[in-house]
Amino acid sequence: MANRASLTPSLQAPTISSTNPSTASLLTPALLTLSSPPQAQVDINVVEYLLIEATRALADSARVAQSSKDAVEQAMRDAGWLPAPDAGKGETTAAAREAALGRLKDQVREEVERARRAKKEDDDEGAVRLRLENMGVQVGGNLAEKLCRDRQRFTDPLDSVKFLCKEIWPAVWDKQVDNLRTNHRGVYVLQDTSFRPLARLSSPFGSQEAIKRAKLHLAFPCGIIKGALARLGLNGMVTAEVNTLPQCTFQIKIPKSS
Amino acid sequence: MANRLNYKQIGDDLWKGRTEKINAELFSFTYGALVVQLIQDYEDYQEVNKQLEKMGYNIGTRLIEDFMARSNLGRCTDFREVGEVVAKVGFKSFLNLTPLITHSSPPAPISSPSPAPAPTPAGSAPRPSPGSSFVLTLEENPLAEMVDLPEEAVEGGLWWSNVLCGVLRGSLEMVQLQVEAIFLSDVLRGDETTEIRVTLKRYLEEEVPAGED
Repeated sequence: MANRASLTPSLQAPTISSTNPSTASLLTPALLTLSSPPQAQVDINVVEYLLIEATRALADSARVAQSSKDAVEQAMRDAGWLPAPDAGKGETTAAAREAALGRLKDQVREEVERARRAKKEDDDEGAVRLRLENMGVQVGGNLAEKLCRDRQRFTDPLDSVKFLCKEIWPAVWDKQVDNLRTNHRGVYVLQDTSFRPLARLSSPFGSQEAIKRAKLHLAFPCGIIKGALARLGLNGMVTAEVNTLPQCTFQIKIPKSS
Repeated sequence: MANRLNYKQIGDDLWKGRTEKINAELFSFTYGALVVQLIQDYEDYQEVNKQLEKMGYNIGTRLIEDFMARSNLGRCTDFREVGEVVAKVGFKSFLNLTPLITHSSPPAPISSPSPAPAPTPAGSAPRPSPGSSFVLTLEENPLAEMVDLPEEAVEGGLWWSNVLCGVLRGSLEMVQLQVEAIFLSDVLRGDETTEIRVTLKRYLEEEVPAGED
């Protein structure tokens, strides 16, 4: 009758004693590494290219979604299920609106058209930003869950934010956050001197234009921060700022009660 | 055949030489969130397939430049070699996986007098012949980790990893090969294997801009 311990000498399983019925003690670190599947890796550039294309693809899909929503609304209005948009404000029909516009001077009409187009562009960009942020929330949440697997729960929000800076940042952008500041009253400022998504961004129209465009690329990272913190139990607001490329700052506001 | 390069070794070296690697799960999560968002917006699985392929095409046109810069490989002599490079060097250096590859020569022309079709014409420089194809069998697919397709997606004809077909088409077009890449099967749809067939449509001639000799 071979002793059970001698069958697995290489794993050095501790002998089971009758005073310790829990089998958790059998899980040595060596066993744990054997049981976790090997972490697959991919090149970081692949993810970067995917995100760049995703931004473009989401702009298209947002436009399609908006136009199909508009079409449904229009169909409902034609069928009489929805009131017209300016009902009760006097001039409701499109013809009346055209007549009103016709009374204005041409320059003013152009101004109105331009403002409407700018608003539409802002709406479009807002739609893409929203989608990118939602993507980030999903990714951040799942990533936080995976990385927290065998850890104790974080008691202090500061610990959660530090986890974000030290573990999640390298998992996504292969480096840690450069600077973390807090006022210990729920506001945290993360600074990254060379933020990867912004590192190779430039615009032929000058640096101010590039900074404006950079805002869109920060939507996904904001989402990641938001999602990761939410999965750790902290619901806060995240905003991002860029003053000089490729440096950027993220501000996290976590209300005290959460 | 005697001086066939060891593509597997080249692929391994390229992967090891990459300094910036990240967890593949991030890639899966990001891609998954993106596909879900596209499905919500388009509400049409065939349209989502098309959009994924289009995205892949754009990504492929960039990837090939990255690939050429790092790998320094010369021209491929025939389509068979193209397949080997794609599978052993391309996939390996970006995604750290090597799909299995099965080659097929073009179907024999019906009106050909010769008994056996020669894969490459003798005399002139060997060129890939249209109709050649290869099938890549992906044993592991980082895009499809932890993904479970609902019934309606399977019935709607969604190819989850269709971006890969676009990447193949885009990158090969940049090296003058017009190909068609389609999924034959996908484990996410309940099939046994995940397979992509790449067929050469035609060899794109380099266009000389008008006015130059």
